[in-house]
Amino acid sequence: MSQTTDLLRKLPNDIGGLPAERIERTDHVLEPWEKRCHALADVLDFHKILNTEEKRRGVAALGAEMVSKLTYYERWIAAFAFILFEKRILTPDELARKMAEVEARHAKAN
Amino acid sequence: MDSHDHPHDHSAHAEITDAAPGYYEIMETAVRELLIEKKLISPGEIRRQIEVLDSRTPALGAKVVARAWVDPAFRARLLADGRAACEEFGISFYDDTLLIVLENTDKVHNLIVCTLCSCYPRPVLGLPPDWYKAKPYRARAVKEPRKVLAEFGTEIPEDVEIRVSDSTAIVRYLVLPQRPAGTEEFTEEQLAALVTRDAMIGVVRINLEATNAL
Repeated sequence: MSQTTDLLRKLPNDIGGLPAERIERTDHVLEPWEKRCHALADVLDFHKILNTEEKRRGVAALGAEMVSKLTYYERWIAAFAFILFEKRILTPDELARKMAEVEARHAKAN
Repeated sequence: MDSHDHPHDHSAHAEITDAAPGYYEIMETAVRELLIEKKLISPGEIRRQIEVLDSRTPALGAKVVARAWVDPAFRARLLADGRAACEEFGISFYDDTLLIVLENTDKVHNLIVCTLCSCYPRPVLGLPPDWYKAKPYRARAVKEPRKVLAEFGTEIPEDVEIRVSDSTAIVRYLVLPQRPAGTEEFTEEQLAALVTRDAMIGVVRINLEATNAL
Protein backbone atom coordinates (compact mmCIF):
# COMPACT_ATOMS: atom_id res chain seq x y z
CA MET A 1 0.00 0.00 0.00
CA SER A 2 1.42 3.37 -0.96
CA GLN A 3 2.03 6.10 1.55
CA THR A 4 -0.69 8.30 0.06
CA THR A 5 -3.24 5.50 0.32
CA ASP A 6 -2.32 5.22 3.98
CA LEU A 7 -2.94 8.93 4.45
CA LEU A 8 -6.43 8.59 3.04
CA ARG A 9 -7.30 5.47 4.99
CA LYS A 10 -6.15 6.89 8.27
CA LEU A 11 -7.23 10.49 8.77
CA PRO A 12 -5.34 12.58 11.34
CA ASN A 13 -7.76 11.96 14.20
CA ASP A 14 -7.81 8.21 13.57
CA ILE A 15 -5.05 7.46 16.06
CA GLY A 16 -6.19 4.13 17.52
CA GLY A 17 -3.24 1.74 17.57
CA LEU A 18 -0.50 4.30 17.00
CA PRO A 19 2.49 4.36 19.32
CA ALA A 20 2.21 7.08 21.96
CA GLU A 21 3.77 8.19 25.18
CA ARG A 22 2.96 7.04 28.70
CA ILE A 23 -0.44 8.03 30.05
CA GLU A 24 -0.43 11.01 32.38
CA ARG A 25 -3.61 11.15 34.42
CA THR A 26 -4.36 14.75 33.52
CA ASP A 27 -7.58 16.54 34.32
CA HIS A 28 -8.81 20.04 35.12
CA VAL A 29 -11.99 21.71 36.26
CA LEU A 30 -13.60 23.38 33.27
CA GLU A 31 -13.34 27.15 33.13
CA PRO A 32 -16.72 28.89 32.91
CA TRP A 33 -16.26 29.69 29.21
CA GLU A 34 -15.31 26.06 28.49
CA LYS A 35 -18.51 24.90 30.14
CA ARG A 36 -20.50 27.49 28.16
CA CYS A 37 -18.82 26.24 25.00
CA HIS A 38 -19.87 22.69 25.83
CA ALA A 39 -23.43 23.80 26.55
CA LEU A 40 -23.45 25.75 23.27
CA ALA A 41 -22.46 22.60 21.39
CA ASP A 42 -25.26 20.62 23.03
CA VAL A 43 -27.85 23.33 22.32
CA LEU A 44 -26.73 23.56 18.66
CA ASP A 45 -27.13 19.78 18.49
CA PHE A 46 -30.67 19.96 19.97
CA HIS A 47 -31.61 22.45 17.24
CA LYS A 48 -30.04 20.22 14.57
CA ILE A 49 -27.70 23.05 13.61
CA LEU A 50 -24.51 21.10 14.34
CA ASN A 51 -24.18 17.45 15.34
CA THR A 52 -21.39 15.47 17.01
CA GLU A 53 -20.05 14.07 13.77
CA GLU A 54 -19.88 17.52 12.14
CA LYS A 55 -18.13 18.82 15.25
CA ARG A 56 -15.54 16.05 15.08
CA ARG A 57 -14.98 16.63 11.36
CA GLY A 58 -14.79 20.38 11.95
CA VAL A 59 -12.01 19.89 14.49
CA ALA A 60 -10.11 17.58 12.12
CA ALA A 61 -10.47 20.20 9.37
CA LEU A 62 -8.54 22.72 11.49
CA GLY A 63 -5.43 20.82 10.47
CA ALA A 64 -2.72 19.09 12.45
CA GLU A 65 -0.96 22.22 13.67
CA MET A 66 -4.04 23.87 15.17
CA VAL A 67 -5.24 20.56 16.56
CA SER A 68 -1.94 20.11 18.37
CA LYS A 69 -1.59 23.69 19.64
CA LEU A 70 -5.11 24.68 20.66
CA THR A 71 -6.73 23.35 23.82
CA TYR A 72 -9.79 21.12 23.59
CA TYR A 73 -12.46 23.83 23.78
CA GLU A 74 -10.39 26.28 21.73
CA ARG A 75 -10.54 23.69 18.95
CA TRP A 76 -14.28 23.35 19.43
CA ILE A 77 -15.14 27.04 19.19
CA ALA A 78 -12.80 27.54 16.22
CA ALA A 79 -14.45 24.56 14.48
CA PHE A 80 -17.95 25.86 15.27
CA ALA A 81 -17.10 29.22 13.71
CA PHE A 82 -15.91 27.60 10.46
CA ILE A 83 -18.93 25.27 10.33
CA LEU A 84 -21.33 28.17 10.91
CA PHE A 85 -19.61 30.10 8.08
CA GLU A 86 -19.98 27.10 5.79
CA LYS A 87 -23.64 26.80 6.64
CA ARG A 88 -24.09 30.52 5.94
CA ILE A 89 -25.45 31.02 9.44
CA LEU A 90 -22.67 33.49 10.29
CA THR A 91 -20.24 35.47 8.18
CA PRO A 92 -16.59 36.06 9.05
CA ASP A 93 -17.18 39.84 9.06
CA GLU A 94 -20.06 39.55 11.44
CA LEU A 95 -18.01 37.43 13.83
CA ALA A 96 -15.02 39.78 13.67
CA ARG A 97 -17.26 42.78 14.45
CA LYS A 98 -18.93 40.97 17.34
CA MET A 99 -15.58 39.85 18.76
CA ALA A 100 -14.31 43.43 18.67
CA GLU A 101 -17.48 44.53 20.44
CA VAL A 102 -17.11 41.87 23.15
CA GLU A 103 -13.47 42.80 23.65
CA ALA A 104 -14.31 46.51 23.91
CA ARG A 105 -17.03 45.74 26.43
CA HIS A 106 -14.54 43.88 28.64
CA ALA A 107 -11.96 46.65 28.32
CA LYS A 108 -14.57 49.22 29.38
CA ALA A 109 -15.69 47.08 32.35
CA ASN A 110 -12.11 46.99 33.61
CA MET B 1 -3.33 16.48 20.43
CA ASP B 2 -1.12 14.91 23.04
CA SER B 3 -0.98 14.68 26.77
CA HIS B 4 -0.75 18.46 26.83
CA ASP B 5 -4.36 18.73 25.91
CA HIS B 6 -4.57 21.74 28.12
CA PRO B 7 -1.16 23.36 28.18
CA HIS B 8 -1.95 26.59 29.99
CA ASP B 9 -0.69 26.95 33.51
CA HIS B 10 -3.85 27.42 35.51
CA SER B 11 -2.10 28.08 38.78
CA ALA B 12 -0.66 31.18 37.13
CA HIS B 13 -3.95 32.89 36.47
CA ALA B 14 -5.83 31.55 39.45
CA GLU B 15 -5.00 34.74 41.33
CA ILE B 16 -6.01 37.12 38.60
CA THR B 17 -9.67 37.86 39.04
CA ASP B 18 -10.22 40.53 36.40
CA ALA B 19 -8.08 38.96 33.70
CA ALA B 20 -9.07 39.99 30.21
CA PRO B 21 -10.72 37.06 28.44
CA GLY B 22 -8.58 35.20 25.94
CA TYR B 23 -9.15 35.20 22.19
CA TYR B 24 -11.10 31.94 22.12
CA GLU B 25 -13.21 32.91 25.10
CA ILE B 26 -14.14 36.12 23.26
CA MET B 27 -14.97 34.00 20.23
CA GLU B 28 -17.26 31.80 22.32
CA THR B 29 -19.13 34.83 23.66
CA ALA B 30 -19.39 36.36 20.18
CA VAL B 31 -20.68 33.19 18.49
CA ARG B 32 -23.22 32.63 21.25
CA GLU B 33 -24.46 36.23 21.19
CA LEU B 34 -24.80 36.25 17.40
CA LEU B 35 -26.82 33.03 17.45
CA ILE B 36 -29.05 34.48 20.18
CA GLU B 37 -29.53 37.71 18.18
CA LYS B 38 -30.56 35.61 15.18
CA LYS B 39 -33.00 33.78 17.46
CA LEU B 40 -31.49 30.41 16.59
CA ILE B 41 -30.89 29.66 20.26
CA SER B 42 -31.94 31.33 23.50
CA PRO B 43 -29.89 32.33 26.57
CA GLY B 44 -32.22 30.23 28.74
CA GLU B 45 -31.31 27.11 26.80
CA ILE B 46 -27.60 27.66 27.43
CA ARG B 47 -28.21 28.23 31.13
CA ARG B 48 -30.40 25.13 31.38
CA GLN B 49 -27.82 22.99 29.59
CA ILE B 50 -25.07 24.21 31.94
CA GLU B 51 -27.29 23.06 34.82
CA VAL B 52 -27.76 19.70 33.11
CA LEU B 53 -24.00 19.33 32.64
CA ASP B 54 -23.42 20.24 36.29
CA SER B 55 -25.95 17.62 37.39
CA ARG B 56 -24.12 14.76 35.64
CA THR B 57 -21.34 13.22 37.69
CA PRO B 58 -19.97 9.70 38.17
CA ALA B 59 -22.19 9.46 41.27
CA LEU B 60 -25.11 8.80 38.91
CA GLY B 61 -23.35 5.93 37.18
CA ALA B 62 -22.34 4.59 40.60
CA LYS B 63 -25.99 4.41 41.63
CA VAL B 64 -26.83 2.49 38.47
CA VAL B 65 -24.02 0.01 39.15
CA ALA B 66 -25.05 -0.48 42.79
CA ARG B 67 -28.65 -1.12 41.74
CA ALA B 68 -27.48 -3.67 39.17
CA TRP B 69 -25.48 -5.45 41.90
CA VAL B 70 -28.46 -5.78 44.25
CA ASP B 71 -31.28 -6.27 41.73
CA PRO B 72 -30.73 -9.08 39.19
CA ALA B 73 -33.83 -8.14 37.18
CA PHE B 74 -32.56 -4.54 36.83
CA ARG B 75 -29.12 -5.86 35.92
CA ALA B 76 -30.67 -7.95 33.13
CA ARG B 77 -32.58 -4.95 31.81
CA LEU B 78 -29.46 -2.77 32.04
CA LEU B 79 -27.41 -5.25 30.01
CA ALA B 80 -30.21 -5.66 27.47
CA ASP B 81 -30.75 -1.91 26.92
CA GLY B 82 -28.54 0.43 28.92
CA ARG B 83 -30.34 3.60 27.96
CA ALA B 84 -33.84 2.28 28.70
CA ALA B 85 -32.75 0.93 32.09
CA CYS B 86 -31.05 4.21 33.03
CA GLU B 87 -34.11 6.18 31.93
CA GLU B 88 -36.30 3.88 34.02
CA PHE B 89 -33.93 4.67 36.90
CA GLY B 90 -34.61 8.39 36.38
CA ILE B 91 -31.54 9.40 34.36
CA SER B 92 -32.59 11.37 31.28
CA PHE B 93 -30.55 11.23 28.10
CA TYR B 94 -30.16 14.68 26.66
CA ASP B 95 -28.52 13.42 23.48
CA ASP B 96 -29.27 10.84 20.78
CA THR B 97 -26.84 8.24 22.06
CA LEU B 98 -27.33 4.54 22.76
CA LEU B 99 -25.77 3.07 25.88
CA ILE B 100 -24.28 -0.40 25.93
CA VAL B 101 -23.37 -1.67 29.39
CA LEU B 102 -20.46 -4.10 29.46
CA GLU B 103 -20.31 -6.52 32.36
CA ASN B 104 -16.99 -7.50 33.89
CA THR B 105 -16.78 -11.13 34.99
CA ASP B 106 -14.13 -13.59 36.18
CA LYS B 107 -13.36 -14.23 32.50
CA VAL B 108 -13.71 -10.79 30.89
CA HIS B 109 -12.48 -7.32 31.77
CA ASN B 110 -13.90 -4.41 29.74
CA LEU B 111 -12.29 -1.11 28.91
CA ILE B 112 -13.83 1.82 27.03
CA VAL B 113 -12.14 4.38 24.81
CA CYS B 114 -12.90 6.77 21.96
CA THR B 115 -10.00 6.48 19.51
CA LEU B 116 -11.40 9.12 17.13
CA CYS B 117 -12.18 11.88 19.62
CA SER B 118 -13.80 11.98 23.07
CA CYS B 119 -17.16 10.16 22.99
CA TYR B 120 -18.17 9.18 26.50
CA PRO B 121 -21.37 8.16 28.36
CA ARG B 122 -21.97 11.76 29.45
CA PRO B 123 -25.58 11.39 30.65
CA VAL B 124 -24.45 8.90 33.33
CA LEU B 125 -20.84 9.93 34.04
CA GLY B 126 -20.64 13.64 33.21
CA LEU B 127 -17.77 14.95 31.11
CA PRO B 128 -14.66 12.81 30.54
CA PRO B 129 -11.33 13.49 32.28
CA ASP B 130 -8.63 15.13 30.15
CA TRP B 131 -6.53 11.96 29.89
CA TYR B 132 -9.46 10.17 28.24
CA LYS B 133 -9.42 12.82 25.47
CA ALA B 134 -5.64 12.91 25.08
CA LYS B 135 -3.57 11.01 22.52
CA PRO B 136 -1.75 8.45 24.70
CA TYR B 137 -4.92 6.81 26.02
CA ARG B 138 -6.79 7.00 22.69
CA ALA B 139 -3.89 5.62 20.69
CA ARG B 140 -2.71 2.86 23.02
CA ALA B 141 -5.85 1.47 24.72
CA VAL B 142 -6.82 -0.54 21.62
CA LYS B 143 -3.30 -1.78 20.95
CA GLU B 144 -1.78 -2.62 24.32
CA PRO B 145 -4.56 -2.54 26.91
CA ARG B 146 -2.62 -4.54 29.49
CA LYS B 147 0.23 -2.03 29.44
CA VAL B 148 -2.25 0.84 29.62
CA LEU B 149 -4.01 -0.77 32.57
CA ALA B 150 -0.66 -1.33 34.30
CA GLU B 151 -0.05 2.43 34.07
CA PHE B 152 -3.27 2.88 36.06
CA GLY B 153 -1.97 0.35 38.59
CA THR B 154 -4.32 -2.35 37.35
CA GLU B 155 -3.04 -5.89 36.81
CA ILE B 156 -5.46 -8.21 35.03
CA PRO B 157 -4.63 -11.93 35.25
CA GLU B 158 -3.43 -13.43 31.95
CA ASP B 159 -6.37 -15.83 31.81
CA VAL B 160 -8.86 -12.95 31.86
CA GLU B 161 -9.76 -11.65 28.41
CA ILE B 162 -9.56 -7.88 27.96
CA ARG B 163 -12.19 -6.39 25.65
CA VAL B 164 -11.76 -2.83 24.48
CA SER B 165 -14.86 -1.06 23.15
CA ASP B 166 -14.38 1.96 20.90
CA SER B 167 -17.15 4.55 21.33
CA THR B 168 -18.78 6.47 18.49
CA ALA B 169 -20.94 9.57 18.16
CA ILE B 170 -24.02 7.37 18.58
CA VAL B 171 -22.89 4.33 20.59
CA ARG B 172 -21.51 4.88 24.09
CA TYR B 173 -20.36 2.31 26.62
CA LEU B 174 -20.34 1.96 30.40
CA VAL B 175 -18.47 -0.75 32.29
CA LEU B 176 -20.37 -2.64 34.96
CA PRO B 177 -17.55 -3.50 37.37
CA GLN B 178 -17.49 -6.69 39.43
CA ARG B 179 -18.94 -6.40 42.90
CA PRO B 180 -16.04 -6.87 45.30
CA ALA B 181 -16.03 -9.83 47.66
CA GLY B 182 -16.78 -8.98 51.27
CA THR B 183 -19.64 -6.60 50.46
CA GLU B 184 -22.49 -9.06 51.03
CA GLU B 185 -23.81 -7.05 53.98
CA PHE B 186 -23.46 -3.64 52.31
CA THR B 187 -26.48 -1.45 51.65
CA GLU B 188 -27.07 -0.18 48.11
CA GLU B 189 -25.84 3.24 49.21
CA GLN B 190 -22.63 1.80 50.68
CA LEU B 191 -22.07 -0.13 47.47
CA ALA B 192 -22.54 2.99 45.33
CA ALA B 193 -19.85 4.75 47.39
CA LEU B 194 -17.33 2.12 46.26
CA VAL B 195 -17.91 2.70 42.54
CA THR B 196 -15.54 5.20 40.92
CA ARG B 197 -15.50 6.89 37.53
CA ASP B 198 -12.34 5.04 36.56
CA ALA B 199 -13.94 1.68 37.44
CA MET B 200 -16.81 2.50 35.07
CA ILE B 201 -14.33 3.39 32.31
CA GLY B 202 -12.62 0.10 33.11
CA VAL B 203 -9.12 1.37 33.90
CA VAL B 204 -9.31 0.20 37.52
CA ARG B 205 -11.04 -2.58 39.41
CA ILE B 206 -12.90 -1.98 42.63
CA ASN B 207 -10.78 -3.10 45.50
CA LEU B 208 -12.36 -3.06 48.93
CA GLU B 209 -9.09 -2.57 50.80
CA ALA B 210 -8.07 0.34 48.62
CA THR B 211 -11.27 2.33 48.93
CA ASN B 212 -11.47 3.01 52.69
CA ALA B 213 -15.12 3.65 52.08
CA LEU B 214 -16.13 2.41 55.49
